[in-house]
Amino acid sequence: MFLVIMSSMLWMIGCSPFVDNNQIEEISPVILWSITEGAEGKLRISTLVPPIYSEPKKILTQEVDLLKEGGKDFNLSYHREVKSGQLRMVFIEQELAKKGITSLMNTLFTDPDISQRLYIIIVNGSFDDFIKNQIKTQDVPGYLLYRLLKHYEYKKQGDMTIVNLHQFMKRYYSPYSDPVAPIFKVDKENFIYEGTAFFKNDKLQTNINKRNEQIFQLIDHNHHLKVLTIPELSITMGNVTSKTKMKLNLDYSTLSLNVELKGRIEEYRGKGDIDNLDQLAVIHQQIKSLFEKQTTELLKKMQNSEVDPLEIGTLTLGPFSKPMSEDEWSTLWANVKFNVTYELHIQPLTNVRK
Amino acid sequence: MKASSLYERTVTFGGIYVFFMVNRSQMLYFVLVTPSKLVYPYMIWALIAVGILSQLNMILIAKWFSSDISTKGYQGFVQLFGKRTVRVLAFVGLFFIFAKIYVSTLGTVEVINSIIFPSMNPLWLILFLFGICLYAASRGMTNAIRFVVIAFFGSAWMILCFIPFFFPSMASLHDLYPLIPADWSTVSWKNLLFIWQAFSGPEYLVFIGPWINQKQKMLKYLTFANTTSVFEYLIMFVVSLLFFSSQYLNKSRFPVTDLIRYLQTPVLERIDIILICMQMFYYVWAISLYFLWFYGAIRIVSGRLNEQSNRIGFITCWIMILISTIILDKWFDETEQNPLMNLQIWLRAFTYLFIPTFLLIACKRKGLI
Repeated sequence: MFLVIMSSMLWMIGCSPFVDNNQIEEISPVILWSITEGAEGKLRISTLVPPIYSEPKKILTQEVDLLKEGGKDFNLSYHREVKSGQLRMVFIEQELAKKGITSLMNTLFTDPDISQRLYIIIVNGSFDDFIKNQIKTQDVPGYLLYRLLKHYEYKKQGDMTIVNLHQFMKRYYSPYSDPVAPIFKVDKENFIYEGTAFFKNDKLQTNINKRNEQIFQLIDHNHHLKVLTIPELSITMGNVTSKTKMKLNLDYSTLSLNVELKGRIEEYRGKGDIDNLDQLAVIHQQIKSLFEKQTTELLKKMQNSEVDPLEIGTLTLGPFSKPMSEDEWSTLWANVKFNVTYELHIQPLTNVRK
Repeated sequence: MKASSLYERTVTFGGIYVFFMVNRSQMLYFVLVTPSKLVYPYMIWALIAVGILSQLNMILIAKWFSSDISTKGYQGFVQLFGKRTVRVLAFVGLFFIFAKIYVSTLGTVEVINSIIFPSMNPLWLILFLFGICLYAASRGMTNAIRFVVIAFFGSAWMILCFIPFFFPSMASLHDLYPLIPADWSTVSWKNLLFIWQAFSGPEYLVFIGPWINQKQKMLKYLTFANTTSVFEYLIMFVVSLLFFSSQYLNKSRFPVTDLIRYLQTPVLERIDIILICMQMFYYVWAISLYFLWFYGAIRIVSGRLNEQSNRIGFITCWIMILISTIILDKWFDETEQNPLMNLQIWLRAFTYLFIPTFLLIACKRKGLI
């Protein structure tokens, strides 16, 4: 019996069935990739190594035809094996996203090592320059970015749009909705959230600015906004929760959108006296009509860009009705009229000096 | 390990064991792939309808268990069909059992290979799995049946992992629409056949009659087991629909493991690896039973049932199965679709429909029920 065990052990060592070597001192798990457009349709892909060891950081960059080729080439220029198992974020340059990113998404999705919780981020500017500058001062720049995204992903926090690979793909495959992704503006020093980018199929179609972004966060997925600024009326509302009801009428020609906002006024720098109930009512009315106008504008913008990131198309589905085709919905969506109403529930003011 | 005691009956097992066995044998492997074959939300009704049909089969099996003849084992079958016919049937049965072992193993190996060890040669996996099953089977029939408790509790908890998917932020009820097929051509009989064969498995349990406590009313446990299986399939399917939505669902090869991969724990990154490993428990349980049945059938065919079962014979059987599996695997390696995999759908559907009915009719004709 002993001989059998010994011989089989020797035999096991001789031709180990496990080919992958994952010894931690020999590999370098990467947590981010940044993909930009290279010359002549190539991809420029960069990564930061090592992500957490206390060693000098460096950026590896390769110009390649294929995404995975980049992953392979990193190994040729670095003393550890670069592994994608811990990949958490993919930063895609805006210009590349405008050309379509299906192939990238498919590649990421096929790899069983890569989690579907992978964050997709669109960047406007050179992400590599930012990281290069960061590694001079930061120990773990990649991890800090991950914490940032993770923080805002939590629950229904409506400060940023955070999208992972699965969410992107699910919307991409659905005929009645279009994917979204956060877009960040980067330069050497800064990494600033710019707003939400709207996709049509896999192509970046348009993105929205700060003002519209606020509205988008409010009406998409019933978010919670800690701060809602309204500079036009010199008001800041705080702790705003929203509840959106969307309804298409029977012939799908009008979309009724009702948003219920709850919150409190936290700042007022206008000339009126908000402690006066009459004047407060006027301000309420002003906020309502302003939001109604801005929301309608945002919806029109989506309509003009032929995107449906709010998944309005899914309203056409019913348990007992035949689903319409993608083309049918896009024709309908182009002609939908909007009827936006806001309901405002503002908590009474306290501690306000008359 | 005493090979002579392979088929020794020291205890009989009650209804709760039957419940475990029926439920687990219906879950084997196919639960991982079923959602991507069903795809459309209205297949929920198909799943329920086939589940009810399967319940009819449970009634037949319960009838069989309650008959005196089932407890007699081999002698019972001889009484029913005569010695010669039993030998012929056992010979035919060899192929069915082999096909079952072959397809379950290959399916399982494929999952392990593509998700846990992509760089590993699948032949190693086949060898390892068969080795473990050989060990489990060599403990004898009684212990193999006992093992189902571990197999059940090792894997049944997995359904709890899917609860979080009922409350995701991005799923909505719309993913379950339409509930009525708008285009009936998408409901093909092939899909229905697929569901039917996914429920198959308990029909082989008619051979463990001698180990079953006959005094208990089995129908209750069988019904409960079948209902549990239907619910498990339903939960997996509805959750997959909510998570993927039907346009996206058929893109995934193993939707259930993809779902689990999405879960996040602070400690473990790849929770799907644990899930698949836990599933190995009931794979090992099922295949070790099939090994025992295979060897039993060989003994019937060769007419050596009265002699002691021996270790050499059993291991020879095991090596036979192993070699044929590897050869067939190599053989079909070149072709895109493994024809045996498709054949298996038919075989499973056939045996599930045929075995209980056939036995009952035979009993009726002899006037034994």
